[in-house]
Amino acid sequence: MAFGMKKRDAPYDLFEIDLAGAEDLSEVSSQMSLGLSAGEMEKVREHFSREGRSPTDVELQALGQAWSEHCCYKSSKPILKEFVFGIPGDGVLSRGDAGVMAFDDEHGYALRIESHNHPSAVEPYGGAATGIGGILRDVVCMGAQPIGLVDPLCFGPPDRKAPLPPGTKHPRYLMGGVVSGIRDYGNRCGIPTIAGGFFFDERYTGNCLVNVGCVGIVRRENLANNFAGGPGEVMILIGGRTGRDGIHGVNFASRDLGEASGEESRGAVQLGDPITKEPVIHACLEVNRRGLATGMKDLGGGGLSCVVGEMALAAGCGADVDVDKVPLKESGLAPWEIWVSESQERMMCTCKPGDVEAALEVFEMWDVEATPIARTTEGSRMRLFWGGDLIFDMDLEFLTGGPVYDRPYSLPAPPDASSERFPDLPWHGEVLLSLLSDPNVASKEWAIRQYDHEVRAATVVHPMVGRMNETGPGDAAVLAPVPGSRRGLAVAVGCNPWFTSLDPYRGGMASVDEACRNIAAVGARPDALTDCLNFGNPERPERLGEMREAVRGIGDAARALGVPIPSGNVSLYNEAAGGRAILPTPMIMACGIIDDYRKAVTADLKREGSALFLIGRTRREMGGSLLFRTFGGSGGAVPETDAPYLKGVMARMAGAMGRGLVLSCHDCSDGGLAVAAAEMCISGGIGASLDLSGMGDPAVALYSESCSRWVAEVAEGDAEAFAEIMGGDAARIGSTGGDSLSLCGDSVPVKALRKAWSEPIWKIMGGSA
Amino acid sequence: MTGAEPRVCVLRMEGTNCEDEMAAAFREVGAAAELVHVKQLSAAAPAHLRRDLEDYDILALPGGFSAGDYVRAGALFAARIKSSAGAALRRFVEAEKPVLGVCNGFQTLVELGLLPAMGDAMPPAPEAALCTNDSGRFECRPTVLRMDNRGSCAFTSGIPRGALLAIPSAHAEGKFASADPDIVERLEDGDQIAFRYVAPGGGPARYPWNPNGSASDIAGICNPAGNVLGMMPHPERAISRFTHADWTRGYSSEDGDGKALFASAMRAVRPRS
Repeated sequence: MAFGMKKRDAPYDLFEIDLAGAEDLSEVSSQMSLGLSAGEMEKVREHFSREGRSPTDVELQALGQAWSEHCCYKSSKPILKEFVFGIPGDGVLSRGDAGVMAFDDEHGYALRIESHNHPSAVEPYGGAATGIGGILRDVVCMGAQPIGLVDPLCFGPPDRKAPLPPGTKHPRYLMGGVVSGIRDYGNRCGIPTIAGGFFFDERYTGNCLVNVGCVGIVRRENLANNFAGGPGEVMILIGGRTGRDGIHGVNFASRDLGEASGEESRGAVQLGDPITKEPVIHACLEVNRRGLATGMKDLGGGGLSCVVGEMALAAGCGADVDVDKVPLKESGLAPWEIWVSESQERMMCTCKPGDVEAALEVFEMWDVEATPIARTTEGSRMRLFWGGDLIFDMDLEFLTGGPVYDRPYSLPAPPDASSERFPDLPWHGEVLLSLLSDPNVASKEWAIRQYDHEVRAATVVHPMVGRMNETGPGDAAVLAPVPGSRRGLAVAVGCNPWFTSLDPYRGGMASVDEACRNIAAVGARPDALTDCLNFGNPERPERLGEMREAVRGIGDAARALGVPIPSGNVSLYNEAAGGRAILPTPMIMACGIIDDYRKAVTADLKREGSALFLIGRTRREMGGSLLFRTFGGSGGAVPETDAPYLKGVMARMAGAMGRGLVLSCHDCSDGGLAVAAAEMCISGGIGASLDLSGMGDPAVALYSESCSRWVAEVAEGDAEAFAEIMGGDAARIGSTGGDSLSLCGDSVPVKALRKAWSEPIWKIMGGSA
Repeated sequence: MTGAEPRVCVLRMEGTNCEDEMAAAFREVGAAAELVHVKQLSAAAPAHLRRDLEDYDILALPGGFSAGDYVRAGALFAARIKSSAGAALRRFVEAEKPVLGVCNGFQTLVELGLLPAMGDAMPPAPEAALCTNDSGRFECRPTVLRMDNRGSCAFTSGIPRGALLAIPSAHAEGKFASADPDIVERLEDGDQIAFRYVAPGGGPARYPWNPNGSASDIAGICNPAGNVLGMMPHPERAISRFTHADWTRGYSSEDGDGKALFASAMRAVRPRS
C-alpha cells in the first residue's frame, strides 16, 4: 500500500489516512474504492491540510459518495441548468425528491423517474426490484401516496443468437429477471404498474436500461419537505436494517460496466424486501399526515452519508450523528460501511423533540423499526460519533459542494434527407406483418399481465385496451387518483433512441413529442414531464455532445409546450466493456390531466362504418425509422418536432374528445401510420380500408415516423363537426369495417395482423396468451 | 354518518394491499368501514388502539401478499389471525355474521379452515387449497363470473342466479383444489358454489377465461351457512364502471359489476323493513 493508514486505538474499525504523505492520490482513491479523480483527491488533501489533520476513512468515503456523478451531477449539471431546469409552470408545487404538480384545488400529484441500470445489468431481479423500491420512496417522501408505477426497459435483442461479449448476460435472461423483479416488488407493495415500454437494440446488449417511474397523490396540506425544520430536531431512521449490501452503489453507477462487473460489483446491488417496505409506506404517510414530521427523505444512493447531510444543509443546519445507534443486519460493520451502505427500505424523518414519542408509537404499531440516530444543530458542521468518540467532523458546504465540470463535447453531424437510401420492399402486407412482429412493436402482454395494473381500484384506462382478453396496445394509462372525483391523471412514456442516436436534438424533441402524443391520444392535456437521461461516458466528447443536444431538444420542446419538468434523473457511463455505448436514451414520462375521465378515449376501433382521420402532417422523414431498421434503409432526415404546432393540435384534439366526437385514437410512432392503423384493428377486432392517394409516395405515407400524428376514428355523422374543430390538421384517410386492413391496394386479415403482433414475445419468453 | 351504519372490520397486516379499496367498496354501499391491523385484535396493541371483533357486523379480508406470501399464500395471515383472535373469529362466524375474503383473503379463509368448512365451522386443518395457476405465472386480467348460488350465500342475495359479472382477477395462486375427489359435487349439494368463471357470453371458460385452471371453473365458494364467502376475483375493483377493462366499448350503468356483492351483504346485516 502506497499510503499510510493508522487504525485508531478503539474497539471499532476506524482508520486515519495519511493523505499529506501519500505519493499517489489516485492510488488512495482506487484502493479505497472512492471513485475520485486525482484532481478531486488533491482538493480533499488541501481541505484537510487546512484543517490541520488527516481524514478518517469515514470522511473520505463520504466524500467519495457525495462527489460521485450519481450524487452531484458533476458532468451533467451545467447542461441541465442551461436547458431544462426551471422551465416555468403555474402548477409546480414542489421540485423536491419528486416533482409535485397541482392536480385540483386540494391535491397535488407527484412524479419522478430514475434509473437502476447498472445494478440490473449485474443482478436483474434484485436490481429491478430495488429500483421500484427507490422510486416509491421518492414519492412517499413528498408525503404522497404512490398510485402508479411506470417501467420503460431497454435490452439487447431477446432472441439474440450470436456469441455474447465476455461478462455480458443474455438479453432474454436479463429481461426475465427484470420483469420478475418489478412484478414481485410492485405487486407485493400493492402499487399498480400502469405504463412502460420495451426497447430492443443490439446496442443495449452490454448495458441494459431499467428506468422506473412513479406517480403519487397528496393532499396539498400534507406536502412534505425533504429537509429538517431547523436546528434542535431529532432524525429518526426508519425501516430496514443496515448491512453490507449496496456498498459503493453510486460509484458503481458512475463508471462504465466492465467484463468483471458481474463478479466484482454484486455487493453493490442492494437486497429488496417489499414486505418491509409496504408498512414503511403506511407508517411514514401517517406520521406525515398527523404533522409529526418536519421533513422526510429516502435513503438511496450514498445511504446515510447523503441523506443526513442533505436534510441538514437544506435547513441551514449541521448534524450530530450517533453512528453506533444505527440498527444493523449483522455485527462487525465498520463505521464507514454503515455510513455509505445503500441497504434498502430505509427512510429518514426529522421531528421536533416533543413529537418523537408519538412518531415512534406509529412506527411501533406498524412493526416498523424506527431509531433516533441524530440531531440537527446550529452551524454547518456534520459530526459523527461512535460511543461518544468523534470520528467525523466536516463542514457540510465542503462535503456537499462537489466539483462541477464543463467537460469538452463534440456535436454530432445528423443525416439529412439527401443521404436517404430507401430499401427495396416486398408487398405492403408483408412489410406490415414484419413490422408488427418486430419485438419493439409486438405485444408485451407477456410482461404486462404479470404486473398487477389495477390494484388500488383506480385504473380507468388500462395499459392494454380493447376487447377483453383480445386487447391491443394503449397509449396512456388513466388513473382516478381522488375518490369521488371524475378528474383523471394520464401517464405515459415516450422515447425514440434511434432518432436520438442519429440526431440527438431532434431525438430529444421527438421523445417529448411521443410522450405528449400518448397523453393527447386518450383525451388528456399534457401537464408535466419527468425525464431519465441515459447516456454514455461523459468523459468522451461525442457522448457528452449527444447528451447536450438531446437535453437541448427536450428543453426546447417542453418550453414551447409550456410543460414544466419538475423532477428528473441522469444516468451516465452506460457503456459496456470495451466502450460500446448504449443508444442515447432520453426517457420521458409525461403526466396529463383529463377533467372528466368518462370522456377518455382508447385506441381500439369501436364499430364498423366509421370515418378514419389522420391528424398531423406526414413528411418524408425516414431517418431512424423502424422500416429502415428492418429492411436495411439508411440515412434520411430524422423526424422534426414543431412544438407550437403540436401544442395547437393537441388543444384541438382535447376539444373534439371533450365533445365526445372521437370513438378511438392512437398515436403514430414506430412503423408509422401503417402500424398505428393495424394496432387499432387488432384491439377492436374490426378491419379498415385506407385510401392514401392524396399523400404522395405510399411507402412514405405508410411508414414515415413524422412526429405529432394520430389516427382517429369518428362516427360518420360526426365527421364534419370533427373536421371543423381540427381545421386543416386532420385528413380523411378511410373507413372502418370488414375483417381485413386494406392499404394501398394490399389487404391483410385482422386475424393475421393479430397473430403477427401477439406471438413473438411469447415465443421468445415462453408461454402463450 | 349516523352511527347506525353496519360496521365493517377490514383486516390488514404487512403485505395486505387491497384494504383501501375494500373499505371504499363497503362505504360506497353505506357501511362504516374501518381498517384494523391484525395486531389491534390482540393484547400487543396499546389500549387506545385495541379493537374487538364482536363490535363489528361484517369482517373483510382484503387481497395482497400478506407477510409476503413467501410460504403458502395466506398461511401466515391465518396464523396471525388465529393467535390474535381465533376464538373471537369462531364466535363471529358461528353468529353467522358476513365474512368476505378476496384473493389473498380467500386463501387466508381456506387456511383458517373457514372455507369450505363442510363439517365443523372452523376445523383445525385446511380442507382445500388454492394452488399455483396452470400458467405458472401471476396473471392480471379481466374475468367473467356467473353467479351460481341457489340462495344460501349472504353476498349474492341481490344478484340473479345465472347473472354474468365482469370482475377482474390478479393472482398467482388461484386454482381451487382439494384432496377430496368429490369436493365439487359436495359443494354443489351444499349450495356452496357462489361463482364460476365463464366466457363472456356465458360459455365454457377455457383459458384465459378460467385464468388459473380451477376445478369446475370455481371462482368463489361460501360455507354451508352462506355467511362466509371467499373468491379469487376482486369485486372491490369493479365498484365503478370506469375501472372495468372495456368500458370505453360501451356501458349501460355507471355502477360496476362488483357493487352488487357489497349491497347484498348490507341486506344481510340490515334486513329491509
